[in-house]
Parts: sequence; C-alpha cells; structure tokens
Amino acid sequence: MSNINGKLYAMNAITPMKPWKTWILRVIFFLLWHIKSKQQDLINLSFIQFARWVIIPRNRFPSLSSGQKQETLTYDYLLFFSNFNGTWNQYIDAFSAVLSTGLNLIWRWSEKFPGSVPVTGFKEYIARIQFDTDYYYTAYPEATANDTKAAHIVQGALTTLATQAAAQTPEQFQAAYLQFLLAVQTHLGDTGDAPAVF
Amino acid sequence: MSKLNATDVQGFVLRGYNMPHARFCFLHFQNAAAGRHLVAQLLGSITTGQLWDNGKPQSTLNIAFTFKGLTALELPLATLISFPDEFQQGMKDRASILGDIGKNSPEHWDALWRGADIHAWVAIHALTPETLEAQFAQLNAIISATGNIHLLGSQDAAALVIDGKLSTKEHFGYTDGFGNPDYLGVCRNTQPGQGKLLPDGTWAPLATGELLLGYADEAGELPVAPVPHILAANGTFMVYRKLHENVGTFRAFLDEWGARYGAGDAAAKEKLASKFIGRWQDGTPIELSPDAPDPSIVADPNRNTDFKFGNDLSGSRCPVGAHVRRVHPRDAFGFNGKLVDRRRITRRGMPYGPQVDPTTPQDPATLDSTDRGVVFMALNASLSRQFEFVQQQWISYGNDAHLGNEKDLLLGTHLPGEKFSIQGDTNPANPPLFCANLPNFVELRGGDYFFLPSITALAMIAMELVDPR
Repeated sequence: MSNINGKLYAMNAITPMKPWKTWILRVIFFLLWHIKSKQQDLINLSFIQFARWVIIPRNRFPSLSSGQKQETLTYDYLLFFSNFNGTWNQYIDAFSAVLSTGLNLIWRWSEKFPGSVPVTGFKEYIARIQFDTDYYYTAYPEATANDTKAAHIVQGALTTLATQAAAQTPEQFQAAYLQFLLAVQTHLGDTGDAPAVF
Repeated sequence: MSKLNATDVQGFVLRGYNMPHARFCFLHFQNAAAGRHLVAQLLGSITTGQLWDNGKPQSTLNIAFTFKGLTALELPLATLISFPDEFQQGMKDRASILGDIGKNSPEHWDALWRGADIHAWVAIHALTPETLEAQFAQLNAIISATGNIHLLGSQDAAALVIDGKLSTKEHFGYTDGFGNPDYLGVCRNTQPGQGKLLPDGTWAPLATGELLLGYADEAGELPVAPVPHILAANGTFMVYRKLHENVGTFRAFLDEWGARYGAGDAAAKEKLASKFIGRWQDGTPIELSPDAPDPSIVADPNRNTDFKFGNDLSGSRCPVGAHVRRVHPRDAFGFNGKLVDRRRITRRGMPYGPQVDPTTPQDPATLDSTDRGVVFMALNASLSRQFEFVQQQWISYGNDAHLGNEKDLLLGTHLPGEKFSIQGDTNPANPPLFCANLPNFVELRGGDYFFLPSITALAMIAMELVDPR
C-alpha cells in the first residue's frame, strides 16, 4: 500500500472538468499527439518512466456488474498516471520548472487548477487530487529508467564485441575493446538501493 | 527587486571574508535569559554585510542557532513549529537521508557533536592569529560576565600556506572556493558561470530568495520560512559539517590508480587527480583545459567558472561523475540548466588541522589519523531543497547524471563493490578508467543545521520580542 516501490514512484491523479471544457482538451490532446516536438520536453526528463493523461467521460465509468446502478455525474474526469524515479518533490519541481506551459495547457480545464507556477500551490493541488496506490508491481525496483536503457546499450555493445572477437587478432580485439568501452562508458551505472525518501 | 538592506544581513552570508584564520565556538545556554543576554551583549559587534570601503576589519564576529538553541531561547511555540522540518530535526536525525552511514554515522562523531546540545555557533574570522585571540578573549569575557553559558568546544580553521603564501587549497592539494553562485543584489560584480544559465547561453544572478529568506526565489515565491516574517527576512540556513580528510588513503589511491592510467607516470597521476574533481590541482577547469593546467584561466574570474558540459556529454573532458560536475551540473541535464537553478548552495569552507609537511615523509596511517580536513559550511534558503538534495541525489547517488548508484569519489560513503567511472577517448593519454575498491577519503566527524538570523532578528531574540503574529 505504497506509492513507492524501490526507485519507482507511481502517481495517480484525478481531476473533474466541466463537460464543455473536455472538448477543448480533446483538441489539445489531438494536437499534442500529432506534433511530436511538443512532447520532447516531457521525454527528455530522463527520470520519468511513463506519463499519460486520459479523459474519462462522465458516462463512460465502468459498470462492474449488471446490478450496479448507473451514476449521474456532473463532471468529466481527467486521469493522470505517471511512474517516475526520484522524489515526489523533485518530480513536481521539475514539472513546474521546465514544463509549466504544457501542464497548464492540459490541466487548466480542470476545476480549481491553480497553475503549475508558483510551485507551492501546484504541489498543494497535486496532493489533494492524488489517489494513493493500492498495489504496485515493478519488475526492477532497484533500477531506474536510465539504468534499464543503459543495460540495453551495454548488452547490445557486448554482444557485438563478443561476435566479432572470434575472428579477431589480439591487436584487433584490443582496438575493438577500446571502442566497446567508449560506447558503454556513460552507461555503466550500478543498480541498487534507492536513496531514503524525503 | 528592492535594494538589499546589507546592514541587516550578517556579513558571513553575503560574502566569503577571505580571512586566513577562523575559530568556530559552540555554546550551550543554561537558560533562556542567559542566552538572550549574550545575544544582546554581542549584537553591536556582529559583522554585517555593509561594504568594507575602508578596508577589511582585523576580525569579524557572527552567530547562528540550532533548533535546540532557539528552543532554549524560548521562542514562542508557534514560531518554533513554523521552522522547516529538517531544521527542527537537525543533521543527526537526517543521517539516513544524507547518506551519513557507517563511519560517518552520528555515533562515530567527535564527542562535541555527540554530547551536550549545541545551541549556538559563534564564528570569529581574523587576519592574524593575534587578532583572532583578541576577539576570542573578548567573546570569552562576555560569556563569563553573562554566566550560565557553556563554551562546549571550538574548532580552529586556517588557510593553508603554500610556498610561503596563503592559499585556498585543502589538504588533498586541490584549490577550493571557486564557483559560489551570484544572487540578485548580493554581489557587486557578477561572474560568468556563477548564477543561472539563460537560454542565450549567458549567465545571470540567481533570485535573492535562493539564499536569503524574505525574498522571491527562482520559483517566484517566498522561501518557506518561520513566522513572523520579520524574524526570517534577511536570514538564512547554514549547514556545518566537519569533514575529516584521509590524506594517506587519498595519496595511496592516487598512486595505485595513477600507475594504471595513461603512461602511468607523474603527469598521468596529476591528470587522474584532476578527473576526480573536474579541476587541476591549481584550479584550472578540465572542461576548459583538459590536457594541462593553465594558470591564466585560474587567474581570470571571467574564465575560471565560465564553462558548460553540454558539448561533453560523453564526459571525455570532464567525467560525468567529477565533483564539480555533480554539484553544479550546469547544462548537463539539458533544459538550459533549469533543473539545477534551485539546487545551488553558497559554500564557506575552510581547512582545519595541521598542514601536511611536504619535507618529512609520513606513513599513510599517520597521515590518515591526524585530525585534519575541511570545515564545510554552506548557506541556502532551504536545507531540504538545496543542500540535502545535492548531498543525497548528486553526491551519494547518480541517477540524474545517468550514473545509477555511483557516488562522488571523494565525498561519497563507499560500500564494497562500488566503482568510479572516468570516461575517456581514443587518445592514449586520456583513456577510460574504472576505479574499484573505493576507500572512504572523507569522514564526517560532526555538524548540524543552523539558522543565521538578520541583525533585526537577533535584536528581537535578545529583547524577547518574537511574536508569531
């Protein structure tokens, strides 16, 4: 019953929107989805494993059984779900510092959204709309997104080196080994325990 | 912003005094009245941020309090609980967050820091040993006259003398003291590389509120601060850490790995030492001059901190894990350094302990056991957002730099199996190297978090006029 599993943090946030505003957000999502350059800042924040916003229309909430009465809801809802590495504060600080325009564009249609700058009001808002995680599975709790990506690079380079090695002279192997080291030298971080949460 | 009222800010906050001698005295108040009386007696002598247009004074005096100290001074409860959590807890209770584990954990600290509660830090900086003693004698006289104040202990610090000249070096041999941030209104001259990076590649001072309480910070709001506002404004928080340096261990490690680096000669060893820190031992940034030290860069304030890492993402000039790159990554994380601007601290460190005598060889064990190192002092508006973040995420961890769990080589508390990566290129004099079997070069021997109030706030404390609303 924790939002944290090793080096990962799972954040769920749900905010109500007046239904007429949902249409504006749909247009914005359509544009953001098709203009890939607009997603670049989010992608470049290397401690974010995953971040997604989804609109849940007020008449589309799941019905778990035929006996469940249909609810009449006033608001549509915006679900935000993200997995990231690092602290809650670090994550929201970074969002506020480098993604404020994009976040405001997405969240301003939600009720009572204070804006992502200044950060204190934004943090209070997130804390209020956040739903804690009931169960959190992650395959590699001791690895961050960077660690996982790095492992793929090292594995690829090592496989190439090993394949070539069979046919190489010692001198050729020495040169190939140096190239291997240079290819992986910024991807050799160790996995391990997460820093203490604060 | 409005003009800074420098005479209300303690001078220690606004500038490094650059005085060669210092004594840090640690006091305990037997009761609140004695503490208040002491503050009142010292108030007129506290060095402020007023400019020294007529030259430096012979000595300076500054004061700061732990949370226990403010409690002992009987500040109102509503004020006390409005201080940030991490300050209320104090550094000991933050050990797991800061990575102060193993030999660095509080039970191994000096008796002074393990024992009776330290309430106040009183700092004397002086131009000569004589003026230091004179100022200390005055302080002692006031302490005795006040009564019910215990001087629990003191820590002397002094600039190292190299070739007969005062230096800014520490005991490992590195030149220290570059790279303090500029803040709006605080510095007369700003220096490229010292503040925040702008999109056009130039540098500008950081918002005043990154250093001083009561001013807007980089997020455009006032830093978290105690009430009332007037108690907090023009004050700041200080980190004090006594960092013991294992000089013998450092030299042995450098000998061992220097022999395996490049040509394995003296030049290779010198280069390897520069890779640990990101500066040659004379202070030349290796990002600017990777092949050899360049005294002309060190001497030029417009160049010695003016560099970026964006064109060196491979770390072949300055390793990704080098100390200066960890603590001030500049543009290394992209976004024009915007992920860095709110993680800056102002350092006021000084070496302590006997200088290593270069003429008499000493065995590594004696070099290690001699009580010497650096008194690390850092100032920031938010201990948790600035100092603790840098210490935990960038010194004791490496994910932001894509280094996984790798730590700062010299400052990290290393566990068995850890390594330190030095990136290189195809130049045989600049090969990649991965150091293993990392010893602990630096050990924490004590320290705490302090509140460094404004002159106004000191007067309020002395006169028992702190009212939360």
